[in-house]
Amino acid sequence: MKVVTGVVGNDIHVVANRLIDLSLQARGYEVFNLGVNTHLDEFFDAVVETGAEVLMISSLNGEAEGWGREVKLLKSKYQGLDDLIMMIGGNLVVGSGNPEDIVSRYKGYGFDLVCHQIDLNTGLDMLQQFIAERSGS
Amino acid sequence: MSLLQEEREVILNNEYLDSFDFAEVEEFVRNASRELFISHHFKRNEKMLVQPRGGFPTYKQQYALYEFFVDAQVDVLPLTIDSNTRLNDYATAQKMLRLSEENDKDMLNGYPLVTHGYRTTRRMITHFNKPVSLRHGTPDARLLIETAIASGIFEIEGGPITYLLPYSKNFPLDKAFLYWKYVERVCARYSELNEAINRESFGPLTATLVPPSITIVIQLLEMLLALEEGVKSFSVSFAQQGSMLQDIVTGRVLRKMAAHYASGTAYSDAAIHLVYHQWMGAFPSNQNFADQLINLSTIIASMVGADKIITKTREEATGIPTKEANAKTVADTQYCLRILNGLPEVVDEEEEEILSLEVTAIMDAVFSDPADTLWRKVFNSIKNGVIDVPFSPHIINQNEMITIRDADKNIRIMERGKVPIPERCYRYERAQCDLSKDRTSIVNDIIHDIGIMQW
Repeated sequence: MKVVTGVVGNDIHVVANRLIDLSLQARGYEVFNLGVNTHLDEFFDAVVETGAEVLMISSLNGEAEGWGREVKLLKSKYQGLDDLIMMIGGNLVVGSGNPEDIVSRYKGYGFDLVCHQIDLNTGLDMLQQFIAERSGS
Repeated sequence: MSLLQEEREVILNNEYLDSFDFAEVEEFVRNASRELFISHHFKRNEKMLVQPRGGFPTYKQQYALYEFFVDAQVDVLPLTIDSNTRLNDYATAQKMLRLSEENDKDMLNGYPLVTHGYRTTRRMITHFNKPVSLRHGTPDARLLIETAIASGIFEIEGGPITYLLPYSKNFPLDKAFLYWKYVERVCARYSELNEAINRESFGPLTATLVPPSITIVIQLLEMLLALEEGVKSFSVSFAQQGSMLQDIVTGRVLRKMAAHYASGTAYSDAAIHLVYHQWMGAFPSNQNFADQLINLSTIIASMVGADKIITKTREEATGIPTKEANAKTVADTQYCLRILNGLPEVVDEEEEEILSLEVTAIMDAVFSDPADTLWRKVFNSIKNGVIDVPFSPHIINQNEMITIRDADKNIRIMERGKVPIPERCYRYERAQCDLSKDRTSIVNDIIHDIGIMQW
């Protein structure tokens, strides 16, 4: 299964990005890693170009909140992305917030899976379960 | 007029700069106090020089920081530059400096040297009459280093590789080589007038599980690139790695190799120094633990025999350190150095041999690249993965090398990628790792190995 991943916005935090890449490969995914400082439209371009089934965006500096509401609009400009699994993880707010509110807000932005301050392998287990459930239904 | 001088006039004819008086600056450097030159202090070789980090937006704050440092018996003052200036965004630096001055709130994470200008900054530097080291992270530092030297700052940190691969995603590496060639040439020219301007490479790189062979190769290459432009005083450096033995071995091999490669060139009269950085990775948030870590770093620097140590602070985990915390580390480090006597000499011949073989093999691969100049050989070697820096965010980096810690916390190469680690060394490196684990638990180990000092 193909996954496009990267760190969104003006965010140079590279360590987790490299570890996500390694972990996805270890679980058998084909990874297209766009690295740090990636713009939102670059993610969707890469999904179209690679035919990826999963888009996994990460953010550490909390700025994701700023452009989250643009996700649906931008995605609607691309064709054939209706079945794309959208996942976001990392530190999703500046400062602190109620985790439940954060998850429901990002689901509203169009993400299927939201991992706010969740351990890497727990998040990847969630993805695997989501894929299994969807293919079963 | 020489091509270099023509380029300098273009660079220095900049709307964010007061007029640059070439003749006056040259006179200033020619007659400057020798105390301002770290190369002069290195020659005296009296003690390990202690240099903290630090830069504040306003002149007043920077001056106050220097007063604290001098009280704490500092040897070398730092001037750390703000991130806008590092990215050549002088307009934003100017605006943020004004806001910082008007509102008494720091809007910059360092001293905007170009904005303050050399006439202002020189007053401060000459007042304290201590050597100052320029700390930045700028791929295109041409305007910045002209302003620095004109201010009386006679040590310039950085280099085309070490200031690019850890800090940038897509600044073109070939441009960085050419911009740094300018820096080396300007340093070389001023070095003819008085004591030498010292250039220092930034050995810590990403400070995240970089194996010593990669660190040393990059130090040697930046040294050679500087020497071939006429630089006469150069510092190679590295940061605490996590194992005392590995640091001692790294220091010995780095010193030996630097002397070897420098003497094999036409520039064998250059003086080469060794600089050690206290732990550059994630710090413990417990400030007492942080003090212990800093103290341990100082002891290892002594075992390594460093010529200069660059310090951290107990507030490292929480943000930009205060001047009080910064000065405390300087005083503590000086005390620790005074009471450290009768250090034993530690030699591990096997480790030294393995590391030397690795370094030589990578250097040979770089030199045998078919390109016509050294910088192009190095550029190609980074591009094709002969040099691979773990956890670099830059798109040119291969990211195929995987490193992990062994039981003694030495950094070992588990996957060499395209780096030409000789078979014998690779077998040795891998023999120290636990290869029976699956990839998922290896990733967990890597996470632990990166944060080794936080627990």
